[in-house]
Amino acid sequence: MYNSYELNESVRRALDLYSQSMIKIAFAYLKNIADAEEVAQEVFLTYLQKHPVFENSEHEKAWLIRTTINKSKNMLKTGWFKSRNPVPEDLSYLPKEENDVLQAVLALDKKYRIPIHLHYYEGYSIQEIAVILQSKPATVGTWLARGRLILKEKIGGLEDEEICL
Amino acid sequence: MKKSVYKSAMSRVKTSENFKEETYQKVISEMEKTSQTNQINQKESLKMEKAKRKTLTGWTVGIAACAVLSVSLFAMNQQAPTINNPNPSEVATKPPTLGKVAVNIDGVISEVSEDGKSFKIGDLWVEVTDKTELGSKEPTAVKPSEELLGKEFKVGNIVSGFTSQDISTGKVAADVIYNNIAPQKDDTANPPTTGKAVVNIEGEITEVSENGQSFKVGDLWVTVTPETGLGIQGPTAAEPSEELLGKEFKVGNIVSGFTSEDVSTGKVNATRIYNNIAPQK
Repeated sequence: MYNSYELNESVRRALDLYSQSMIKIAFAYLKNIADAEEVAQEVFLTYLQKHPVFENSEHEKAWLIRTTINKSKNMLKTGWFKSRNPVPEDLSYLPKEENDVLQAVLALDKKYRIPIHLHYYEGYSIQEIAVILQSKPATVGTWLARGRLILKEKIGGLEDEEICL
Repeated sequence: MKKSVYKSAMSRVKTSENFKEETYQKVISEMEKTSQTNQINQKESLKMEKAKRKTLTGWTVGIAACAVLSVSLFAMNQQAPTINNPNPSEVATKPPTLGKVAVNIDGVISEVSEDGKSFKIGDLWVEVTDKTELGSKEPTAVKPSEELLGKEFKVGNIVSGFTSQDISTGKVAADVIYNNIAPQKDDTANPPTTGKAVVNIEGEITEVSENGQSFKVGDLWVTVTPETGLGIQGPTAAEPSEELLGKEFKVGNIVSGFTSEDVSTGKVNATRIYNNIAPQK
């Protein structure tokens, strides 16, 4: 059990260490920074309310990412989110190559998009992604392969690249 | 796609600069809310506990009262059949333990005959004959004492008795003399109903301690302890009134009392406070 001081400190530390990862995974899901930040904030409030006990910092990060994904899914399901017609996030400030790659990934179906994000941005292996997404490693491997194939068709590359298991 | 391109692109995506701080503030305020809610919940649960306890106490008292009533009723019903209906003749022979006697001679003797056998009460001359009974013969009557039934009938005695004769004739023979009480002879024989109480604390309060339990009279600090008696004791003492024995000791009050301790020490505990009178406003 945490006391309020410890909880306070652990939330602050998690904010410093993992807030960017959480916003980015939520952004990969929702394609909107404002929504992504809102989701990340909710996750931290959940963290405060549940104050879960973690085995290590990796466990803590995985929990935060898993919770961010769940909350992003929930937001996607909400009526107001479905009914709105958001302006696409302006990423024109990014270099062209990066912008193209990012837009191509965001255009993927989310079942491919999230494993690709977790692998290419967070550096998780298929096994780790399978744990986070609560899926079989083979399924995750298939999603990654198909996602890369689609991306290859769009932007080329990836032929010699190996997915780290 | 190269890993580094996607990672670089995602890293460059702009997020709110003050996200961390805002989130942190939100988390802190949420923590405060939670702690307040917990406190309220604790209070509520405490209230609930108290309410439950009150309910429980109420039920307990109610059930206990019902039990007592039930036992009483049961006991009364148990006793009822065992009561023997007394024989009417027994009732007649056993009078009740309380009763009245017929009195038609009652008053103060204003005149006594020379032989001392007759006396006058009001306009009625009453003669005491050999047949006159002295004292009540009722079974519950107390034995007549010399004080209540004097042997001699004297002027001023208070007499009560009964005659079966017609008192309107102005002269009757007494059947019974219940009382013949001599008046109180001398006031000096009985001590006066006044008394003195020992007083060694007396005067006006000039100072009172912060807790109100000590006061200063002259040079003497007097402390009123839980052992201190309040009011005047004794058979002739009047019931202490709020006016004569105020609850608070205030500067200006007139106080009298007694202490068994040495007043020369300058500080004593009062054994008894007789009066604590507020000054006239």
